[in-house]
Amino acid sequence: MTQKILLVEDDNTTADFIVKGLSEQGFAVDHANNGRDGLFHATDGTYDAIVLDRMLPGMDGMAVLGAIRAAGITTPVIILSALGAVEDRVAGLTAGSDDYLTKPFAFAELLARLKLLMRRATTGPVSAVETVLTCHDLEMDLLSRKVKRAGRPLDLQPREFRLLEYLMRHKEQVVTRTMLLEGVWDYHFDPGTNVIDVHVSRLRKKIDGDADTTLIHTVRGAGYRLGAGE
Amino acid sequence: MIKFWRSSTARFITLVFGIELILAAGMTLTLRVLTRGELERDAKSYAARLTQELGPVYLKQGKEDFQKLAALRILFSEGRATVILMVDPKGKPVAGNLQGWPPSAKPGWSEIELYRNGSGTPEQMGILVTNLPDGSRLLTGQIIENDRRLSRIVDRATGTALIFGLPLALFAAFAAVRIINARVNDIGETAKAVSAGQLSQRVWLDGSGDTFDRLAATLNAMLERIEALISELRIVTDGLAHDLRSPLTRLKVRLERAQVEDDEESLRSAITLAGEETDRLLGMLTTALQISRAEAGIGRDHFIAADLGEMIRDIAELYEPLVEDKGFAMEVATGTGPIVAMHRELIGQAVGNLIDNALKYGADSIRIATGETGGMAWVDVSDRGPGIPEDQRAEALRRFGRLDPSRTGFGAGLGLSLVGAVARLHGGTIELGDAAPGLRVRLSIPLA
Repeated sequence: MTQKILLVEDDNTTADFIVKGLSEQGFAVDHANNGRDGLFHATDGTYDAIVLDRMLPGMDGMAVLGAIRAAGITTPVIILSALGAVEDRVAGLTAGSDDYLTKPFAFAELLARLKLLMRRATTGPVSAVETVLTCHDLEMDLLSRKVKRAGRPLDLQPREFRLLEYLMRHKEQVVTRTMLLEGVWDYHFDPGTNVIDVHVSRLRKKIDGDADTTLIHTVRGAGYRLGAGE
Repeated sequence: MIKFWRSSTARFITLVFGIELILAAGMTLTLRVLTRGELERDAKSYAARLTQELGPVYLKQGKEDFQKLAALRILFSEGRATVILMVDPKGKPVAGNLQGWPPSAKPGWSEIELYRNGSGTPEQMGILVTNLPDGSRLLTGQIIENDRRLSRIVDRATGTALIFGLPLALFAAFAAVRIINARVNDIGETAKAVSAGQLSQRVWLDGSGDTFDRLAATLNAMLERIEALISELRIVTDGLAHDLRSPLTRLKVRLERAQVEDDEESLRSAITLAGEETDRLLGMLTTALQISRAEAGIGRDHFIAADLGEMIRDIAELYEPLVEDKGFAMEVATGTGPIVAMHRELIGQAVGNLIDNALKYGADSIRIATGETGGMAWVDVSDRGPGIPEDQRAEALRRFGRLDPSRTGFGAGLGLSLVGAVARLHGGTIELGDAAPGLRVRLSIPLA
C-alpha cells in the first residue's frame, strides 16, 4: 500500500524539491501552501505522516500543529524550521511534533526521519519485553549486554554498544549522523561530521572486521544503514 | 503659557513655593502664640507672688507696714510697672496706686483697662484679685500695655519679613527647579546625541552617588552595552561578509566549471566539492547565529543544573576516537561535580571547539580537566603544542572576544568567538595559561 504524506510548505522551490524526492521514493504526496489548507487536509486523518513548515502565511505552523493535535489526530508530524536553536526545537517538540528538522536540511535526512517516524507509528513503540536484537548473523542480548557475530562474542565499549543498539533498532533504515548524535549522545549541535564517522568506523572494524558479509553500510550523502543486503 | 502651568516644572515650583509659604506661616504663628503665652504666664506668676507677700503682711502686721511695703514694691518692681490696690471691707482704699476699685473686678485673673494715680489715660493691665478673710480685697498686677506693643511689633516685623520672603521663596523654588532641570537636561542632551549617532557620549557624573548620579550611571551602563552591541554587530556583519566572500567565490567557480565539464566523473566531483563548500558556508552561518544569540543572552532560560565533570567526560568520549585518529593521546581528568547551571548544548559545543583548536595547534596529546576554584567551575583544555608566550596572550584572547575583525581565515576565528560568547552567556570567563609545555585554555563559569 502506498503511504501518503502531507506537505505543508509555502516556499514553492523547497516544496517541489520535497514532493519530487518523496514521489521518487514511492510516496503519495499532497502539498498545501498555507496553514489553513494544510489543516483542512490534515483533519482528513488519512495521512501516514505530515511535514509541516513552521513559518506559514495565514496560519502559523505551530498553530496548525496545535489544531491538529487538538482534533485528536495522532499522525506523526515533522516540523521544518529555519529556527534551529535548541530552545525552538524544544518548543516545537513540546507543542506535539514528533521530530524537528532545521532548514536547510539534506533531503536524505528528511527521508530517513520520515521513514523512522512512519515505522514507529505502524509498529508502535519497541516492546519492552524484547531482549534480543538480531540482524543477519549479528546478535545483541540487551540483558547480558553481550554481542555475538556468527556465534563469536565481540568486545564492545559501552558507547559502541549503545551505537550498535541504535543501529539494530533501526536496521534496514538509513540513519543520519545527526540522528545518531541525537539518539546515542543526546546532543543537538553539530560537532563536525567526522566525529560520528570515526565512531562508526571503529564499530564497523569490530563488527565487520573479518566477516564475509558487510553489515554497516555507508549511504552516500545521507548516513549509515545496518543490514545484510546491498 | 497654559502649557507651562501644566508642566512638571511649574508644578514643582508651585509645590516648593507652597511648602515654603506654609512653613513661614507656621513658624510665625507658633512664635506669636508662644510669646503671648510666655508673657501672660510671667505676669500671672508675678501677681501671685505679690499677693502672697502682701496679704499676710496686711492681716498680721497691720495697715502701716502694709502701706510701706506696697510703696516699696511699687517703686522697686523688677523693671515692671506694678499696680497694687488694697480696699477695706467697706471698699475704702487702704493703699495702692490705682485711682479706685474697679467695679467690674472679680476674684481671679483678668485683663482690664484702669487708671493709675495721677494718670489721665487708661492703661491695659493684668490683675489678680483676692478676697482676704477679714472682708478686705487685694488687687495686684502689672501694666501689660508694653507687652502688647512688643507683640504687635513682632507681628508687624514678621509680616514685613513674609512680604520680603515671598519673592525669596519663589526664587528658591525656581533655583531648585533649575538645578534639577539642568541635570535632567544633561541626561536628555546625552540621549539626543546618542540617538543622533554619537554612541560614545556619556552622561556627566558629579560623583555624589545621589539619585541623579545613580540614574546617570545606569544610563551610562545601558549606553555602554548599546555601543558594545552595535560595534559588535558591525564587526559581525563586516566579518561575516568578508568570511563568506571566499567560500562563495570558490563555490561559484566550481559550479561554473561543472557547467562546462563533459566527463561524468569530473562533473560529479565538481558537484561534490560545491556541496562541501555549501556545507561549510551553512556551518559558518549556524555558528555566527549561535554567537549572536549567545551574546544577546538568549538561552539563559534553558540552563539546567548538570554535573560538569560528567558532562565533560561525555563530550571527551564523543571526541576521543577523532582525537586518537589524528594521532593524539587524550587524557581526561574529571571527577564528580561541580553541579553548574548551564546550557548543555552550548557548553558541549564550546568544549568541542576547544578540542578542535587543540588538535589544530597542539602536538601529540590533549588533556581535559574540570574542577572548581573560588566560586567558579572550570574546564581546562590543554595541548602540548608550542603554547603562547605570556606577552602575546592578551592578543590571542581577542580571538575569543567579540568577533575579531583582524583574524584571517574562517572557522577557527568563529569557533573561538563562540567559546567566548558561551562563556559570557554564562557570566564566565576565558583564560589562557601555560600547560608547560603547551597552551591551556580555561573556560570558567560561576557556581550556583
